[in-house]
Order: sequence, then C-alpha cells, then structure tokens
Amino acid sequence: MKSEGGTGALVRGLRLGKLGLGLTGSYLGYQVQNLFLGEEKRAERGKSMRRAASRRIRGELGELKGPMMKFGQILSMQTHLLPRETIEELATLQTRAPAMHPSLARARFKSSCGKYPEELFAEFDAEPFAAASLGQVHRAITRTGEKVAVKIQYPAIRAAIENDFKLLRSATFPVRLTGHVPVEILNEVQRGFLEETDYLHEAKSMDYFRERLACLPYVTVPKVHWDLTTDRVLTMSFVSGEPAGEFLLRNPSSAVRDQIGERLFELFEYQIQCLQAIHADPHPGNYLLRMDGTFGLIDFGCVKRCSMDLGELTRCAVDRSWQYDSAQAERLVFLVWCGKVSAKDPRTRRMLAYLKDFIDLVFPPSPKAAAEVDFGNPALLHSVTGKLSQAVGNKLTNPELAFVSRAELGLYNLLHQLGARVRTREILDRCVDRARGLQAG
Amino acid sequence: MKPKPKRRPAQEADTPRRDSRPPGKRTANKDRTRKAILEAALDLFSRQGFYATTTKQISRKAGIAEGTLFNYFRTKEDLALYFLEREVDALISWFGHDNRLQGAPLPEQLFAVIHRLFERIEPYQEFIGAISLRGLHPGSKLSPFSIERGQINLRYLRFLREILEASEARSEIPRVGEIGAYAIALFHVAMVAHWLNDESPGKEKTLAVLDRCLKLGTTMLKKGGWDW
Repeated sequence: MKSEGGTGALVRGLRLGKLGLGLTGSYLGYQVQNLFLGEEKRAERGKSMRRAASRRIRGELGELKGPMMKFGQILSMQTHLLPRETIEELATLQTRAPAMHPSLARARFKSSCGKYPEELFAEFDAEPFAAASLGQVHRAITRTGEKVAVKIQYPAIRAAIENDFKLLRSATFPVRLTGHVPVEILNEVQRGFLEETDYLHEAKSMDYFRERLACLPYVTVPKVHWDLTTDRVLTMSFVSGEPAGEFLLRNPSSAVRDQIGERLFELFEYQIQCLQAIHADPHPGNYLLRMDGTFGLIDFGCVKRCSMDLGELTRCAVDRSWQYDSAQAERLVFLVWCGKVSAKDPRTRRMLAYLKDFIDLVFPPSPKAAAEVDFGNPALLHSVTGKLSQAVGNKLTNPELAFVSRAELGLYNLLHQLGARVRTREILDRCVDRARGLQAG
Repeated sequence: MKPKPKRRPAQEADTPRRDSRPPGKRTANKDRTRKAILEAALDLFSRQGFYATTTKQISRKAGIAEGTLFNYFRTKEDLALYFLEREVDALISWFGHDNRLQGAPLPEQLFAVIHRLFERIEPYQEFIGAISLRGLHPGSKLSPFSIERGQINLRYLRFLREILEASEARSEIPRVGEIGAYAIALFHVAMVAHWLNDESPGKEKTLAVLDRCLKLGTTMLKKGGWDW
C-alpha cells in the first residue's frame, strides 16, 4: 500500500494536484507532500523524531479533514505496515480530530436547521465530545428531556472531497496505468465518501440497522431524531461506551474481551449472511464497548449494500470443497468476480491459493473446527492482513469488495487490539442457520 | 451616527421655528425618523431588490413625504453610509456583550465578528452588492477612501485593534501594531466579496474559507515581526 513507487507517485500527484486546489479544498495538500518526503528521510533518526513527524502528520491530516483524514484513519489500521509511534498518533484521528470552534459549529447548525442549537434543544454542549472525518459530535438534551448526540458536518466538506479525489486521481495515475489500483475502486471509494456527506442517507441506514440488528440484543444502534436531522446535521439518541483504546485501560477480564470479540465477529458474519449490507466503517471509535460485554455501534455513514452474494461467497469459501471440486471452484471464482474473470485465468489460481491460506487462518480446518482463533497473536494478524494485501497487489480485487475488505481488516485489527479468542467456525455456522431460518420464514 | 455637519443647517432650516420642543427631544425624533426610513428601505430592498425600489415607495412605507426623505438622505449613498455605520455600531456593541466570546481564542473571535455581520446583512445581499460596486468609484462617498467612509472605517479599525490588543495581553500573539487591524479589515472586505458570490448551500464555502484563513492568518501573526 505504501511502497516506494506508491509514495513517489503520491508525491508527484500532490504536486500536480496542488495547481488545481481551491481554498475550500485541501489547500494544505502541498504540506502533506513535504511531510511524506520528510518522514522517509527521518525514518532512521530514532523514535522521538518519528513521533514528532507523526504528530505533525496527524495535525495536518486532521486539519485537512475529508478523505485525507480518512486516509490517515485507514493508515492507522494498518498496524503491520507502519511504525508503532506513527500508528499511535494516527489512531487519535479516530476520535480526536481538531474541532470546529463553537462559533463555527453554531453557524453550521443554523445554516442547516434554520435556528441556533440553543433555540431547538433544552441543553446543548458547545464543546464537541468526539470528532470524526466529516463532522463533530455534541452532547445535547432535547426539549422532551432525552439525551442525544448531535453530529454537525464541517463546512464545504463535499467540495473538499471532490478536490481531494482530483488530487488522488492524479496521484495514483501511474498505479492506475499498471492496474494496481483499478479506476473502479477509486470511483467506488469516492462514491462512498460523497454518500457519507448526506446525513439523511446515514439516518436512513441507521434506522435500517436498528431494526435489523434488534435480534442481536448486545448491540445498541442509536435512534434517529428525524425532527432535528437534516443533510448536514444528524441528531440521534446518545449511546454510552468507550472506544477500544480507552476501554482496555479499564483492564477488562479476558472473559469479557473474548465475549466482546465473539459478539463483534458474530455481528460481522450476521451482516454478511443475513443483511446483504454491512457497516463498512470499522475504525475503533465506532464501536463503543462496555464492561458488561455489550457495545454500541455508531456512524452509519459508510454502509455497503452488496449486489454480490457475500453470504454464499463466505459459505462457499469456508466449505473448502472447491479445493478438489472444480465446479465448486468455478462457482467461487464466479462469486468473486461476478463472471468477469474465467476460472482458467492464471490469476484465479493465485487468488485461490491466497484464499486457502486466509480461510485456514480465520476458519481453521476440521479437527480444530470447534477451537478458538486467537486474534491477539500478532503472527496471525500479520498473515491475515498480508494475504489480503497480496490479493490487492495481484490485481485480484473486485471493486464491490473494497469496502467489505476494509471492514474485515478493521474487524481483525480490533479483535487483535482486544486480544480476543473467537470460536469463528461455530459463530459462522450459527449465522448461516439464522440466514436459512430467515429465508424459510 | 454623528450628524453630518454639512447637512445640519439645511435640515434645521427645513424644520421651522414652530418647533418649540427642547433640542434633545428633537434630535431623538430625527433619529427615530432616520431609523424608520432605513428600516422601510431595507424591508423593501430585501423583498423587491435594491434597484427596483423607488424613493417614493420608501417614503410611503416610512410614512413621510418624499420631500422629507431627501432632507434626511439626499442620495441613496447617504442611506447606504448610514446603514454601514449602523451595522458597524451594532457589531461592536454585540461583541462587547457576548461574555463567552471575550475569552475565546483570536481566530474564533474574528470568525464570530465577521459571521455575525454576514448574518445581519443576509437579507440585503443585492443592496450590499450595489454598495460594493458604487464604492469602487473614486468620487463616491462609499469609496473606502472617502472622508465619510473614513470615519466608519476608523471606528471599525479601532474595534479590531482592541480585539488584537486583548489577544496580545493574553500572550496569544506578539505585538502586531496597526498593521494587524488593517490586514484583518482588508480581509473582511475580501470575505464580503466571497460571501456575496458564494452559491453553495448555506454559503458553507464562505464559512470554510473564513475559518481556514483565520487560523492560517493567526499562525502568521504568531510568527511575529508585524510591529513596524
């Protein structure tokens, strides 16, 4: 992801893109190029220097907001690719991006809702308690006395995204030529980001998931307050809990961590098997964990509704019969590429080899089927993420899978952070049964 | 508004000796009429536009004779100057009464001031656009270099300097002298032009540019070397 060539291309692209930047966009983009240049040179100079550079990168990415900040968040999830100090700094982007000051937040609120927050809420906290890539979140109490979280979008974020993608397109021009980053993936990511800027869309997704996930009683999905929601302001019920980093400071027992880990895994598989839609923004700030083993799921800006049958893809892959049954192998290849690549293509053989390794790691074969997978084991995480990266490197990606892989990688990183042991196979089987039950019903 | 010395004798000649009320009350009455005219004019500007509004309509709405209107404002430029003066005074007084803002960081204070002005002048965009264009004419009273406009400018510059001095006293920025206030006033003018032409929903692009420029500007002020 961050190979020599990639970085060079990125730097060139940033230099090109700089010409086309409006002030509403990433006008600091050129500074990021210096940062990336500088970071490489500073790499050898020890931890303190690296930490300082990382802090600067975090500062700049946070200031840029939009996709550049998202880019930082995604980087921070690549625990095996970057130095530890950098990850720790970038990880703070997940909940603590530089905030809009109260005057700007109020101005934004008014321009979207027509009135100032204090005119519409009984209480409104002027200081945000969390910031995300596209907005920041304030605590408030409605006139009916309900505790809510109010997400207010940064100004002109749409224009910033459009500018940043112009930049990203020129930056990735060489790798697009070689086919390492297919243009469809960029389009898919841009579409996703732009969709995230419409909070009405997010509110609808939140309603959808709240209804569909009601059968998993340990997950809390916030309730939308439609009367106080617009495309730029989203008001929802307040969900308690802490992101993994802070949660772990409370020293939860391994039993609690395993329980949460298994439930997170079940949540993911349930979405794949039963919903055909997944919450695809997996950064740890979106999972609010609680000591009683339950958790809240927030931020439904990035929801992926899949046209391909992910449930069948997973079942088919985990079934393993494709390893000796060519018809099954063909079916699997068809599911991954939706019929665009033939099973005889040499790329598919490589893909199937990666897939075998990947499946063996996450869903160990028969004798150990009931056993737990220890996500706390760094070697396991390294191999799993390595396999996914190899798949990308060998042009084996289907654009539809871009967000799903991101969600999956995010999940494994979170499970690793929790040091959770998860009975993966058992959970998958349970979800498959549920899906059958739903279909039969 | 300080009464314009040029105009005062003419007005007094117009309002005859019959008026036996004490001068304080008379001034207050005049002020009230002046305000009523401006309110009537602004209301018409916001509903039907600046160019489509006639002096006849303004005077009818203000409940005075058209001739009396000219006693108060000889031209539309005089009306515009009075409007600008009123807005600057309102801004200064509003800032002084907002306790939370007094302790806020400099970029937020400046943001709040400029945004407050946008909020107030929001209904009169066409009028503001017309004023800005007229101001480009060197002979116009609305030109930033005219004597009439100069007084309003000075009041606003003094206000900005006070904000900067308070920030200096908080050790937020080094001494920036007069140039800081001038730079911000100039920036303010540029932002009004941006705001007028901003067609994004809720004029959010202006909010973004304003916020980023002020943060960047404060960073530059912090570097020091501005006190020439």
